[in-house]
Amino acid sequence: MNNNSIIKKIGMQKVITLGILLLLLIFFSLANPTFRKYTTFLSLMGYTYYIAFMAIGVTFPLLTGGVDLSVGTGLICYALAGGYLVVYKGWPVWLGLLIAVLFGVVIGLFNGFAVAVLDLPPFLATLCTCMITRGLGSICSNGTGVPWPNGSAEGAWFRNLFRLKVGGVSIPIGIIWVVLAVVIMSIVLNHTRTGRYVLSIGSNKEAAKLCGINVVRYQITAYVISGFFAGLAGIAFAASFATIQPGLGAGFELDAIGAAIIGGVSTAGGYGTVTGTILGVLIMSLLKTGLPYIDLQANWQQIIIGIVLIVAVMIDIIRSRRVSA
Amino acid sequence: MKKKLFAGLLTVALAVGMLTGCGNSGSDDKKSGSDKKMSFEIVSKGFQSTYWQAVYKGAKAKADELGVEINMVGPNTESDVADQVQMLNSAINAQPPAIGLAALDTDACLDGIQSAMDANIPIIGFDSGVPDAPEGAVYANAATDNYAAGKVAAEGMYKGIKDKIGNGKVRIGEVNQDATSESITQRGLGFIDKMVELLKADGYKVCVVGNDFYVGKAKGADAKEADADVIIEVAVPAETTTSACQQVAEPVLQKSDTIAIFGSNQVSAEGIVNANETLKVCGPDKIVAVGFDSGSVLKAAVTDQTLFGAVTQAPVSIGENLVQLLYDVSNGKDVKDVDTGCQWYNYQNITDEEIAQNLYD
Repeated sequence: MNNNSIIKKIGMQKVITLGILLLLLIFFSLANPTFRKYTTFLSLMGYTYYIAFMAIGVTFPLLTGGVDLSVGTGLICYALAGGYLVVYKGWPVWLGLLIAVLFGVVIGLFNGFAVAVLDLPPFLATLCTCMITRGLGSICSNGTGVPWPNGSAEGAWFRNLFRLKVGGVSIPIGIIWVVLAVVIMSIVLNHTRTGRYVLSIGSNKEAAKLCGINVVRYQITAYVISGFFAGLAGIAFAASFATIQPGLGAGFELDAIGAAIIGGVSTAGGYGTVTGTILGVLIMSLLKTGLPYIDLQANWQQIIIGIVLIVAVMIDIIRSRRVSA
Repeated sequence: MKKKLFAGLLTVALAVGMLTGCGNSGSDDKKSGSDKKMSFEIVSKGFQSTYWQAVYKGAKAKADELGVEINMVGPNTESDVADQVQMLNSAINAQPPAIGLAALDTDACLDGIQSAMDANIPIIGFDSGVPDAPEGAVYANAATDNYAAGKVAAEGMYKGIKDKIGNGKVRIGEVNQDATSESITQRGLGFIDKMVELLKADGYKVCVVGNDFYVGKAKGADAKEADADVIIEVAVPAETTTSACQQVAEPVLQKSDTIAIFGSNQVSAEGIVNANETLKVCGPDKIVAVGFDSGSVLKAAVTDQTLFGAVTQAPVSIGENLVQLLYDVSNGKDVKDVDTGCQWYNYQNITDEEIAQNLYD
């Protein structure tokens, strides 16, 4: 009885997700001893940061019943633009990072405007910005790859924001920023007017409008949050990987959206949590890092991730049927 | 009935008008073309790595020297086969005197190549060229002999690992960005074949595992995995990005019996270098890592000996030779393949003039 109420409080889907996460961890650790190494954990985190930021952001448009397909190509575009100014124009790194985030916010505003004011379907509007940011990234970087400062180069300090090196040991302190983002955005979602309005728009847009909620404003807010976090994801990506190549990023958004859905965010909007999303992110990045360790050819990894997503969506459908029944 | 007849006549009239219209505009183009500078269309594999920028630099310099114009285009990434096919089609529609082409996937480009042949536009291949193209379509290639370049990498690496073989089973990793493009597959296979040859000459049993394409094409590795002294493991990521290459490189680098690893282009070599940022397993007295091409990341890694060495092509020379061949073929000269060559470099000779000129950031 007591147990049941705890599960109910946390939410069934989160319990299942957490269980799958643990099972996967145990499975990979048993299947390949090298997976248990600390260095594997470090690289797992490297893949987690940018997906985590993208997913936290994209959770908000999803909750309004929309979607943001532009976060994947967007994050590459923002990282290219910021990095180009730093590497080829000699701008200070902090300014490059700021530009990346601001760029994300601007694109988020644009998405919000297209969806809320112009009333375009979110899928269509953000698909267009997905293409726009892909091209824009190439233009911003003059078509070349951008190697953000690395190793002993001046300005390489920003990589320490995610992976601090203390006496030869790397500490994945990027976790701090992700946890911080989860806590803040959970509070925003559950304990502020913005969060409540975002959820009510997703549950029933017309009803929200009739209740006097400024639907346009809060829809735009959701897309700006998504763009802001895509900017952060761009920074995390730049810090974790060597060179950023124009044209990358298509398909990244599916990792983030998939993670949110695995974590229990309803595909129809109106239901979901940030903590659920982050659990979904961990499953995604664990699959991406772990599957190569069991000697699975790369194309099979994508198939397995696809199947996991189908299962997650089916759970969502079953749940919403129960709710309506 | 009358209406129908009228409509039919009108359609025929319109069709005739359109056809003659097209014919006219076509010949106009040609006339104006002869007054202007000669202009060549070049379809590359993309501009995403600095390697392609260096090719462009060479091509542009040669074009300026010869007083011709070039229009070099390329898809966003080397995965965008369909985009490249479209670019080839628009290049043909521009009716240039000759086209330069580095095909991502020859099969996908076949229709375009055929229409270039029908329009009597000669094609000059560059970089990986246009392997298995129909007879007579490609007049010449300006390219690195990639199979030979892969062999150079194997020979360079073998010097560093010779002493580590013989005490129990060891593993050599190879990260190839894909299993479709001619340059990557030839390089990957050249490396494997030469490595197998060197190992067998020293009396070791070799086995190739991993990606089915490379396992199937590798020559001479006839031992079973259980009996082999040396295992060559080929990893191919699902997409052609540094992060995906890093993902498949990490498990190989973490295996306890791995003594060496080869990344067969800039992207996959950077994936290895970046994986090593956390793993710290490559370097002197550790895993012997060998890269291909250059770029600031690889140059730094060779200098600080994270990479034992790397093989560089001559991208500037590829670009120059390409434009020269385009120019010659459209002036009716006979053209032949040009091997633009490759070089082994390591921390000792990276600053030598003859190496440095082919390295780019």
